[in-house]
Formats: sequence, structure tokens, C-alpha cells
Amino acid sequence: MKAEITMPVLSDTMQTGRLTRWNKAVGEVIKKGEAVAEVETDKAILDVEAFADGFLAGPLAAVDTDIPVRQVIGYIADTPEATKTDSGGAARVAATTAPPAPPSAAPGAVPEKKTAPPDTQQPTAPAAAATPPDTAPSEKPASPLPPHTPTAAAAALQPPHAGGLQASPYARALARDLELDLSQVKPGPDGIIHAAQVLASALAPEDADLRRGPPYTIERPSMLRAAVARNMSATLDTPTFLISSRFATAPLHAAAKQAGLSLTLALTRACALTVAEDPWFNQVWTRQGLAKRSRVDVGIAVDTGDGLITPVLRDAASRPLKELVEDWRILLGKVKKGRIYPEDYQGASFYLSNLGVFPEVERFNAIVPVGASAILAVAAAGSDGRADFTLSCDHRVIFGADAARFLQRLGKRLEDLSWLATGEGGL
Amino acid sequence: MDKAQMAAMLRDMLRARAFEEAAAQAYAQGHIAGFLHLYPGEEAVAVGVLHAAEPGDYVVSTYREHVHALVRGIPARQIMAELHGKKTGVSGGMGGSMHLFDRSRRFLGGYAIVGETFPIALGAGYAVAYRRLPEAVICFFGDGAINQGTFHESLNMAALWKLPIFFVCENNHYQIGTEIHRHSAITEVYKRACGYGIPAEKVDGMDVVAVHKAAKRALDRVRAGDGPQFLELETYRYRGHSMADPGSYRPAAELNAYQANDPIAAAVHVAEHPYPSADAIAAAGADCVTRFTDHCCEGGHLDDAAVERMRREIQEEVADAVAFAEQSDAPNMDDAWKAFHRNRRFETLMETAQ
Amino acid sequence: MSEMLYWQALNRAMDAEMAADETVLTLGEDVGLYGGTYRVTEGLMAKYGEWRVRDTPISENSFTGLGVGAAMLGLRPVVEIMTINFALFAMDAIVNMAAKIPFMSGGQFPMPLTIRMPGGVAKQLGAQHSQRLEHMLMNVPGLRIVVPATPQDAYWQLRQAIRSDDPILVLEHELLYFSKGDVDEATLAPPIHQAVARRRGRDITCIAYSRMLPLALQAAETLAAEGIELTVIDPRSLSPIDWDTCVRAVEQTHRCLIVEEDCRFAGAGAEFAATLQERCFYLLDAPIQRVAGMDIPTPFNGTLEAASIPRGEHIVQAARQMMAQQ
Repeated sequence: MKAEITMPVLSDTMQTGRLTRWNKAVGEVIKKGEAVAEVETDKAILDVEAFADGFLAGPLAAVDTDIPVRQVIGYIADTPEATKTDSGGAARVAATTAPPAPPSAAPGAVPEKKTAPPDTQQPTAPAAAATPPDTAPSEKPASPLPPHTPTAAAAALQPPHAGGLQASPYARALARDLELDLSQVKPGPDGIIHAAQVLASALAPEDADLRRGPPYTIERPSMLRAAVARNMSATLDTPTFLISSRFATAPLHAAAKQAGLSLTLALTRACALTVAEDPWFNQVWTRQGLAKRSRVDVGIAVDTGDGLITPVLRDAASRPLKELVEDWRILLGKVKKGRIYPEDYQGASFYLSNLGVFPEVERFNAIVPVGASAILAVAAAGSDGRADFTLSCDHRVIFGADAARFLQRLGKRLEDLSWLATGEGGL
Repeated sequence: MDKAQMAAMLRDMLRARAFEEAAAQAYAQGHIAGFLHLYPGEEAVAVGVLHAAEPGDYVVSTYREHVHALVRGIPARQIMAELHGKKTGVSGGMGGSMHLFDRSRRFLGGYAIVGETFPIALGAGYAVAYRRLPEAVICFFGDGAINQGTFHESLNMAALWKLPIFFVCENNHYQIGTEIHRHSAITEVYKRACGYGIPAEKVDGMDVVAVHKAAKRALDRVRAGDGPQFLELETYRYRGHSMADPGSYRPAAELNAYQANDPIAAAVHVAEHPYPSADAIAAAGADCVTRFTDHCCEGGHLDDAAVERMRREIQEEVADAVAFAEQSDAPNMDDAWKAFHRNRRFETLMETAQ
Repeated sequence: MSEMLYWQALNRAMDAEMAADETVLTLGEDVGLYGGTYRVTEGLMAKYGEWRVRDTPISENSFTGLGVGAAMLGLRPVVEIMTINFALFAMDAIVNMAAKIPFMSGGQFPMPLTIRMPGGVAKQLGAQHSQRLEHMLMNVPGLRIVVPATPQDAYWQLRQAIRSDDPILVLEHELLYFSKGDVDEATLAPPIHQAVARRRGRDITCIAYSRMLPLALQAAETLAAEGIELTVIDPRSLSPIDWDTCVRAVEQTHRCLIVEEDCRFAGAGAEFAATLQERCFYLLDAPIQRVAGMDIPTPFNGTLEAASIPRGEHIVQAARQMMAQQ
């Protein structure tokens, strides 16, 4: 008997995960609960947990491939013997092919053939019908499900060849109508161009034409970087305006230090309290109407070295400060380990971006993420001891005077720091 | 039997022979394609039985049915045209040699799957009984059909519900090339009817008068509500099973014996004689047409001149039929679709039941 | 409008047609005194007598052929073949006679014959009694095949079949006889061969007939909760197929999933897939998929039996996969 190991569903939005490594080799002992593999999602690298005791058995999905959730990526066998059957065909369970390698487009150079690595381009066994592969594929018991995933079927029909692009008929028709060059469209997670990709490509701004510039190679961005790019592009439809003020930060800094808080956390609290005073700042525009939040969750931009992540402090206006301190410690720990989950970094109603540690930065503005009404950008304090506070607002929700009053109240809060030392806010 | 009826029967026997010979010729010339199963030798069966039938009776036949159709009254032109696959054929060129149908003459068709005539006749008999009409259904079949399941199934139901069916076995002793002793445990076909309590008899199928008498008897009983009747007629086909079959599996003596005009043919048919011995065959033999022609002449019903006149008229009729068939238009695909959809009252998707 | 079981709807349809037209009769094994193994002919013999409700011997080929012969003489027989598995004995009557006589006779003989047969995989009846043979019959020109999935359709499609002058096979499903539904006996139903959309959704057109329809509708609910919206088309007829309705649906969703209980290989779904790709190719955003029975004789063991035919979760899974690609 073999139990299946599947690509875990790690968030409600997760559709694929990139298998980054196997922690075990075929035949090795596995304990229930142990991490057998690592998967990279939008924001993090996560463990694939074993749900049974046994021995890792093949075929294993290939590393560095994007795999739909719930798809089988390997097996756990009862006995070491059972792991030996057909462990070679790693590619057979890898259902998705990597996007075709981009051409190394030196000016005037002949583009390479667009072939993906051979180990990911073969017709592959289906997720649903993936049975313990101890029978030859042709004798595999038929399942009520499609015998091949569409990917596999399409791959079988269209062997890779020079210039061979896999696209659905509807996608081709759409591309023709939209006068779009299919070779410029990024395929879907199954390696095939569907209508969704054509439409996305048609709606997206065109890629820069790099052919006349210096030679280049194209690298696949990390899942995290790709997610940031996607999220930032998604904000393009948000009409925003900026409003700035300058406040002295030294008093806050000193008081925070005294209270055992980082400046960022103290700023977070100040923002949360200010947001709580004006419900407009806790609303967001949706097609159905204004979503009014009943709680203030603040997302804080954190530099990971390889991008940006925004851990969220929940209920940052009313919970005791010491809870926030503890939460923040845990969140930073998760960021450092790369083990952060969507519930840790999604869904804030207000954002804070603090670049105060870069004294050269006098002033900057931030982009309002989708799902929030405003983001506050805090720069380093200048020679006068005052720092620039620039608020970016979604003008569908917040108007100029609202924003002005927000900064006014925030300014007062930075002068009168009683909220930090006393009451429910105290440590 | 009066003179006019004698003459009519003789005329049909001569027509049958002439028609089939013309068909064979047209086939050899390439004007008729496909299978062609000819009747010469068996004319006494079709003529004897169908001359005993009423216009209100139904006829179900096999793939060797040109003569049944002809004697039933379908014009030679329409049959010949159907053999040629023409639009003017009795089935519009959609049936062919093995599938002659004529609704107006209650000719329920020729069936090319051995054993199919039984259930068709069963259904027709059921419909007649359902309506309580004094009509009979005549079901022709060969000796080859008696080992098909439908034979037993249908005889059982016909007897069970006393359906007005007259089962007529044309026993020509061969299922294609397999002689009856090699295909049947019991070679006296009529005895099988006893298993279902159906009155049955065996008559010399080369003697049209005897056939006619027996058929009349049986049909009277059917119409009187006595239930199904069964008649075995021993006969012989001179040709092979079809035009593609030389019939060479049969001894020449046997064929010659049947073809010979021998007045002592009755000797072959002594009671309980399972099957004519080689000697008997050699000694007997009787071509039914020749024999009946002689019978008519000897009885003073007709003279040679009258028969000769009859033959000339028939030659003309058959030649006309062949010419008609050759000159007729072939059907086109539209005609085929029309035939296919003629009865589809509710075929269009958008139409509801009334 | 009243609620009734599927078999009751068929029974009422029989009664209605027999009362309206005395050329209508029914025959088959145990249809008379016994009332039909699925009670479809219950009470009819007492009402209409044995000539109109005829118990037959076990002779499928000949009593089906009897229906053919009687239909040639203008009666409107409704032949019940106790289960479709026995219809294999009657294939000659169905394929060589009923389907061909109207044509071979150049259109001289109508064939107002209805053949009713229960089929499909029920509950552990073994391989010989758990068959789906629609694909065999679909390939016979001259036959028309309806597959009612609801009591309402059972009622009206049977009545419409009886009134048709063409041979019509009514394929009933053994597990549907005790399904309940509203039947409107007063208002005319849609045309006998028209397909209907049982549900509308933007993502996938799911074509499911007979017992697969309730499964597909249930799966559609599950999927809707996940944000995958199915259009569910009930073809109601497998010959002819109402292509226009199917094509219109696929053109809106760009994806098509066919659910059939019969075996995948050369099954009814193959016909749907082939024709729909011919007609909708340039509007398809994914290969047409089939969820079908396994290509294996039905195992007796209950677990294996259930595993050999589609379940709701298979539909859900297939739909998810189709959507996950993009």
C-alpha cells in the first residue's frame, strides 16, 4: 500500500505551489508529522507534512516545478520494498510544465528553441488518476475521471517543436481578434495559454522591448517577488492622492524606548488609534459598496532582503500593547525563517511603511495596497528633528480634508504621548 | 378447381420462372448488383399457397421472395425495378432484391436475416386477432430457419394465443450449402410443430395442386379461429443459394432427378419417408412447372397453343419489366432522406406531441 | 401539478395513452398480472384486459419482433424489456427490424413502436444486470432514444414516444424509479428531443443525462460554494441530440465536461465530445473532458461497483482540475 503525498492547500487563494526541495530521498524512513518536502508559495516557503509513517516512495514530482494544489507529488509506502517499484519516473507525477525558457535575446542573436527542460515536458500522469504506479501505464485501471489531465493530453497531442506554443483554441481565437502575439503571452500554471492569460496580457501594459538594449537573460522571479509585482500592479486602478506633514519624532522615540517599544511599533499604535477615531479610514471601496471594518488591523512593511512583506497586527487599536509586542516578535521570527502564512500577512485595513532607518531619505510616498484605504510613509527625521509623514489615500473613500484632519490628530498624538504611558495602552 | 383458376395458376408459375430467368440474365449482365436469390424449382409453393390466400391476408416472406411478391400481385415492373435499385421499384430502391415491401397488397416484406419472418408474422397475427378480423397471416420460411430461436419462440406464442398465422415451410433441403441431414436432428420439419400443438402436415411442394389444396384447408381453419396452422412443402431450388453460388455441393443426379419431368414423382412422397433416398431421387424428380403444364394440358383445361400464347405474353411482360427497370431513374440521396423521414411526425426537435 | 415517483409517472403516462387510444397496447415479461417488475404497468391489465396488456413468455427477440409486426399493422405497442440486459436477445428485432423496415420499405411502413427498458448500474446486481448500452443503440440510424431523468420527463417523454410514428427507445434507470418529483400532467412538456438547461453558470458546461443528472446538479452546488459555476445541460434524448442547446451553452462557458455512466471507451460521451469540438473548437478554452464509467464489467462487490461508475466527487474533482489550469 502507498499513501499519496499531495501538494498542500496552504491558503484559500493558493492554486499552485512550487516544489523547492525534497527533505528525504526515496526509501528513507518518514515519521508522521515530519516535513518531507518544501514548497514555495506566494509569500513563503512552507513544509509539506507527512500524514503517515512509512518510507518515501516515488515517483516524486520534480523539484522547481509549479504544481496545482491537491495533486500527488509522491507517496509514502508501508514497506521499504514497496518504494522500489518504479521510482524512476519522477516526471510522471509532475503535472505542470515549467513555463518555456525565455530566449536569451542578445540583439541579432537567433532565439533558442523554446523547449522546456526535458524532465518537465513529458506527458505526465494525471493527478486524479494517479494510481500507485505498479502497473504499466497502458494497463492502468480506468478511472471515472479523465484519463489524462488536460495538460497531459495537450502535451501528448502537441509535442514540443520549434515555435510550438500550446494554447487553447479559444485563446488563439482571442489573440487573433486582439492582434496579440501569443509568444508574448505568459502561459498559465499548466504551461498552456488559456483565454485568461490572453485577456490578462491584453489588459496588461506591454513589456518593455529589450531587444535594442544590452544583452540579458531572464530569470524566474521568486514567488514572493512575483506576488509583490502582481499586488502592486493590481493597485493601478486605485485613484490616490498624497498629503504630507512634518512632525518631530524624537519625543515618540524616547517615550517608546522608555516603554520598551520599537519606534515602528509605537508608530503603529499611534496610527491605529488615529484610524479608530475616523471610521472613513477603516473602510474600503468594493464593487458591492463600502466595506466598513469593525476592527483596525495594521500592516507593516518589512524588508526581507529579497522583497517586501507586510505582517499584520490585528486589532492594533484596542489590544494591550504587550500583546502587540509579543505578536510582533512572533511575526518577525516567521519572516526571518520564511515560514509565514497568508493569515499572517493578508487583510490589513491600514498600512505603515517606515524608512526612518535610512537618514538619506527625506521623503517618500507609498502605494495604497488593494483592500486598504490609506498607507502612511514615514521618512527619517531631518536636522530640525522633524520627519516627513506622507499619507497616500484612496480618493474613493477619503477626501483631502479627512486626510488633513487625520494628520492633524496624528500630530497631536505625537506631541501628547500620554496614550503610550497610561491606560490600557500601558505596558 | 375450375379451368380459369388452373390457367391463372399456370400463368403465375410460368411468369415466376420467366421473371427469375430474366433477373439472372440482368444480373449476369451487371444490371443487378448485390445478392440475388432465385426461385426456379419452387414455383409450386408460392403459387399454390398464394392462390389460396385472400386479398385481406398478410404475407411475410424471406430474401427469396421475388416470386411471392409477383404472385401476390405486385407488378413485375416494380419488382424488377427494385432489383435494379431504381426509384420506381416497389420499395423505392431503398430495399433491393431481399426487401420487397408493398403496403397496399399487405406484403409485409422480404427479410434477409434468417428467422425474422416468425416474429413479424407473430406481430401481424397479434394485430389481426386484436381487431378480431377474419384475416390470416402467411409466414414463409425455409428449412434453414427452423433452428433459429425465433422459430420456437414464435410458434409457442402463436399457439399460446391462437394467433391467425399460417406457417409455410419451403423445405428445399439446403441451408445455403448444408443439407438438412447435416443441420437438423429431425428432418421432417412439420413434426416440430407438434411440440407446440400446432396442426401440421407435409405436402409435395412440387405439386401445385396439392399445395393449393392443403393451403386452402389450412387458411380456412386459420380464418375460422382455430389458431395457427403449419405446412411443410418439400421442394427444390435448381440454382445455387444465390447468383454467387454454383450449387456444386449437390450431386448432379439429385438435381437432374428434380429437373426431370417424371410422372411418378408422387412415389417420392410416400408417408413417413424421411428424405428421398438417392435412388428415389434418381427415379423421381419433377419440375413443378413442366409437370403442372402437362397436368393442365392432359386434363383438357388448356391446349398447347394456349400455353404457347401464355408463354409469349409472359415473355413480353418480363421483357417490358426489364426495359422499364433499366430506363427508370435511380433514386438520389434526397429520396433516401425522404424515405427515412417519411414517418417522423415528431422528428423536429421543436415539435411537441399533439 | 402533483408530486409522484418516477415509476408512478410512467404508469400514469401508460394509463393516459391507453385510455386515449385503443391501438395502444403493452407487452413484456410480467407486465400483466404481476404489474411489472418496477410497477410501471400496475393496474393496467385489470383495466384494459389481457389483449392490451400481454404477459409474454421469456422470448425477447420474438416478442419485441411481435411489437414490430403489430406496429406495421397500425397498432402502437409499448414493449417492456424487463432490463436492458435482455435486450441483447432482442437486438435483431430492434436493429434489423424496427430501425430498418420504415426505411427499407421506402417509407411505406411507419413504426409506432415504443420499447421501454430499465438499465444502468443499480445496487449489486452483478455484471450481467448492470449495463449501460445506450452507445450501442445510438449508433443505429432509425432508432430514437430518450433518457428521462425526472418524473416529469418520464411522464411526458413516454407519452410523446407512444404517439410517435418512429421507433423510440425509452431508457429508464433502475435507480431513478423511486426518485420523486413534481409532474404537471396538464401542460405540454418541451418537445421530446429537446435538451434543457437545469442550471446556468459561467465556467463549465456540464452535460449529464439520466441518473448522472442529479449527481451533476449536486456537484454543481458544491462547486458553486467554491466559486466554480456550472451550466448543467440535460440532453434528455441521445438520438437525436439537441446540438444547438449544447453548443449555445459551451459557447458561453468555453469549457465542457460530459458525465456519463456508460463506459468511457466509445461511449455516449465520445459522441458529445466529438461533435462539440467540431462545432465549438475555436471557442474552447480547454479540452473537452469526460467523467465516465470504467471500461470494466461491473464488479459485484459493492465498494468496487461504486468505484466503477462516476460519483459526485469525480465531477467536482474534474471541474476543479479544469479550472485549476488557468
